[in-house]
Amino acid sequence: MRRRQLTALVRKDLRLELRTRETIVAMVLFAIVMLAILQFGFGTRDDDLTRFTGGLMWVTLAFTAVLGVGRSYVAEREQRVLDGLLVSPVPRVVLLGAKAIAIFLYMTAVEIIVIPLVGIFFVKGPYWDSIGWIAIAALLANLCIALSGTLFSGLALFTRARDLILPVLFLPALVPVVIAGAGATHAVVGGAHDMSEWRGYCLFLAAYAILFALVSIATYDAVFDD
Amino acid sequence: MVTARGLVHAYGERRAVDGVDLDLVPGERVALAGANGAGKSTLLRMLATLIRPKSGDLVVLGHEVPDHARAARTGIGYLAHDPLVYLDLTARQNLELYGDLYGVDGLDERILDLLDQVDLLARAEDTVRTFSRGMAQRLALARMLLHRPRLLLLDEPHASLDARGGALLDDQLEAARHDGRAAVIVTHEVERVARVSDRIVVLRGGRVVLDQRTDGLDPPAVRRLYEEAIA
Repeated sequence: MRRRQLTALVRKDLRLELRTRETIVAMVLFAIVMLAILQFGFGTRDDDLTRFTGGLMWVTLAFTAVLGVGRSYVAEREQRVLDGLLVSPVPRVVLLGAKAIAIFLYMTAVEIIVIPLVGIFFVKGPYWDSIGWIAIAALLANLCIALSGTLFSGLALFTRARDLILPVLFLPALVPVVIAGAGATHAVVGGAHDMSEWRGYCLFLAAYAILFALVSIATYDAVFDD
Repeated sequence: MVTARGLVHAYGERRAVDGVDLDLVPGERVALAGANGAGKSTLLRMLATLIRPKSGDLVVLGHEVPDHARAARTGIGYLAHDPLVYLDLTARQNLELYGDLYGVDGLDERILDLLDQVDLLARAEDTVRTFSRGMAQRLALARMLLHRPRLLLLDEPHASLDARGGALLDDQLEAARHDGRAAVIVTHEVERVARVSDRIVVLRGGRVVLDQRTDGLDPPAVRRLYEEAIA
């Protein structure tokens, strides 16, 4: 039953996104514009930005995540559908899981475009041979973003100043993700191949994701029912 | 079906529902009336498990609420002011979603049957955004009935239903008397709802000021009872 509910909710989000194309397109455009701004801001004198690649990429992805997470309940809120979901016998943790999966997929779609672009914008030296390692770190970071983002967007949903509350809550929670994502990227970009450092950051991201999964499971009922 | 004792809900300092007792037995259809701000919708949302009572005891379909709200929700059908459907999904996709959330068996056949009943079969693959208000509310009626609920909770249903939808709803309420379903109908249209209900409960300032059976009374007589109660 839970699997059927989860599948139905994820399918609903993907159908809405395929029909409206409002979230992923906005996220991709935002990320590209931000990468361009960072490139113009830091690389005007043909500077080598390779050592800043991790930071520039993960700051971009963090702000892109805020945009995507902020839109995660737009359909429910603007079309006033939330009561329909809440009056159905769906465990709140299934609502959380479905939204988290949708956000995870949106972030992954954005990164498929952004990660190669980062190599073009910022890296002088080897990049493409390390893209697989960056992608693994990105998937772990996406888990953290999806779980924490769903929790905070659920909390912000019931506040009047939700557009302000969400970044204020969510961005601080992303700081460890940015640090670890940037660290893992830095460890493998531009000819560096420090797999021990990369592994350490990835383990941290996995632990952070588990932590937020536990916090979300423990609190999500209260978010919607209280 | 419903046992409520001393239900209270407050928005800040103001008590929207203030110590309401309510019992509902199978097959009973209650018109819940009152002036604007009397607490009708708040009480209905409490019965629907959408908001928690601040105090009091509530048992819905044999399940204590809020502790066992999820079990109660399997048997609740809720029709709100808004259709509670996604505008950018088709009629069929919306019903598929809700059917999966409620674990409805034989979902495809059930959806086709309901869309036929609400006269939307020809528009099954159209997005709800292209529907008129009345059509969307008929789809909401199909959504409410999809999982064969035993308790119908209706918030001013006739206000937004078109003639076809209103007639279908009246048929459902008439059928409810015979098949043991119960219904609470929040309404301002007391005379209209009097034809399909057995009892009227009137709220004023969050309190029950009238709770009387109306079978045997004609609609104008029910209207007079209501007006005396809120005067």
